[in-house]
Parts: sequence; C-alpha cells; structure tokens
Amino acid sequence: MTMPVEQSKRPSTILVVEDEVLIRMNISRYLRECGYTVIEAVNADEALQVLQSNQILDLVLSDVQMPGSMDGFGLAQWIRKNREGLNIILVGTPERAADTAAELCESGPAMAKPYEPEALADLIRKHLGLATQGQR
Amino acid sequence: MSQGRKDRPDHPAEVAAMSAAPIVDNQASRSAIILVVEDEVLIRMMMATELRAAGFAVLEAANADEALKVLRSSEPVDLMVTDIRMPGTMDGIRLAASVRGMWESIKIIIASAHTPEWPVAVICDAFIGKPFTPDRLIERVRQVLKGGAP
Repeated sequence: MTMPVEQSKRPSTILVVEDEVLIRMNISRYLRECGYTVIEAVNADEALQVLQSNQILDLVLSDVQMPGSMDGFGLAQWIRKNREGLNIILVGTPERAADTAAELCESGPAMAKPYEPEALADLIRKHLGLATQGQR
Repeated sequence: MSQGRKDRPDHPAEVAAMSAAPIVDNQASRSAIILVVEDEVLIRMMMATELRAAGFAVLEAANADEALKVLRSSEPVDLMVTDIRMPGTMDGIRLAASVRGMWESIKIIIASAHTPEWPVAVICDAFIGKPFTPDRLIERVRQVLKGGAP
C-alpha cells in the first residue's frame, strides 16, 4: 500500500543511488507511487554529478556497496562535508552497515537488505519530517 | 534547455526514419512505458523528468547491459530511447539491433549528436539529433508510438 505525500507542498525529491538496475527501478517506482519525485543514479560518481548540479534534493538513499570511485560510505562523507543538512539513508547488508553508518547517516544504523518497501518509506517520511506535519 | 517546439527534424536521418515508421496501434501514449538508455546522468535525468511530466511511465538504464536486464524482466516496455555511444558491452546500435531481434514490438528511437551513417530505418523507428529540446523528444516519442509520420 502506498501513501501519498502532502499535496499542498512540493513533493520531496529523493536521489536513489543503486548499481543494481532492477533494485533501483523497483524502489524508485515504489517511491514515486508514494508521491515523491525520484532521481536515479547508478553509482556515487553519478550521484555527485546530480549533487553538484542545481537539482533540488531533500534526501539521498544510497546503497553501501557500489562500483566506482567511492562506495556509499564515501558518498555519505562527501554529503556530510559539502551538503550539510541533506538527509541520507544508507542501505546495505547487516555486516557492513554497523557502526560506521551510524556515524555517517541520519538514520543511525543503515537499513539492512533485504528490506520491506513500506519500512523504507516509513524511514524516509521520518527523516523528511513529514510525520510531524500530519502526514501518514 | 527548452527552446520551444520545432516543426522540422534537425537531421535528414530523422526524416528517413520517421517516414519508415511502421503503423502500430493507436493506444493513447499516456500509459506507454518508455525505457531511456543514456549514460550521462544529467541528460538521462532531464529526459526521464520531461517524459514523466508528459504522462509517460519511464524506466531508466545507464547502458545497454542495464537496458537488457530491464527488458528481460517482466517490464512491458513500449518504446526505447537509446544513446549510441555508451560504455559497456555494446553501444546503442548493437542494443537496438538486439532489441529488434528479441522484442519485435518495442519501438526504438536512437539519439545521437552525430548523423548516422547506417540505414536508420532498418535499425530503429526514428532518429533524433542531439541536442534536442524536451518538446522535441516528447513529440518524437508520441509520433513513434502512434506510428505516424512527422
């Protein structure tokens, strides 16, 4: 079941960073059905291009393990340093998502794969502050 | 980016491809699923955003390998727009040839900054020269889905 974001406001924009195309496609589709605007990036390098463009972003949802010049942890560190205030949620396997992620992302421990889309949507709503504004 | 709609193709190849576009069904293009294959993330983002704003469902692939994964899943893609020069195991031309061979019903638009030297109408339903405006892209997609000439 999808839950729409508040209609009166600009839909929050989420950058999904995931190198597995079918995972990226499905989670992006789910988040769009929830009412979010979703930008897709294949890896951290693409994510950096989006982050350095004039694209408005409210939250970054990134896989931890990705090919390219940096992984999800590196991307989170870059965001912490260069885009203060931008929410980031890391998604990865439990063994890799432990304490380091807690220091890097707003969510504390990263979300472990596999995850339920509804649980992810709840986490996103929490970090976008929508729950406190009367949204489901 | 938006420079308004153009009434005439940028490249002669566009004319050749469009005039050879086969007649297909007349289903409303609003619900059509478009697969965008483009390795430049900002271009892919623009294309996907504009196509979604025009009412299409859009799937994104960063290269031919990703595109084939999407197509081999159960996604009922109606039309693929692909760049030519991309990293990976094949370029857009080979991708188009593969798709044409395996999924005959999928319409194909090839986008490139270079006028093609290959027989456009054999490989794809339309060619669109880069750079293109969002309006031009949407116009091309609608034309090809309807099977009509420009």
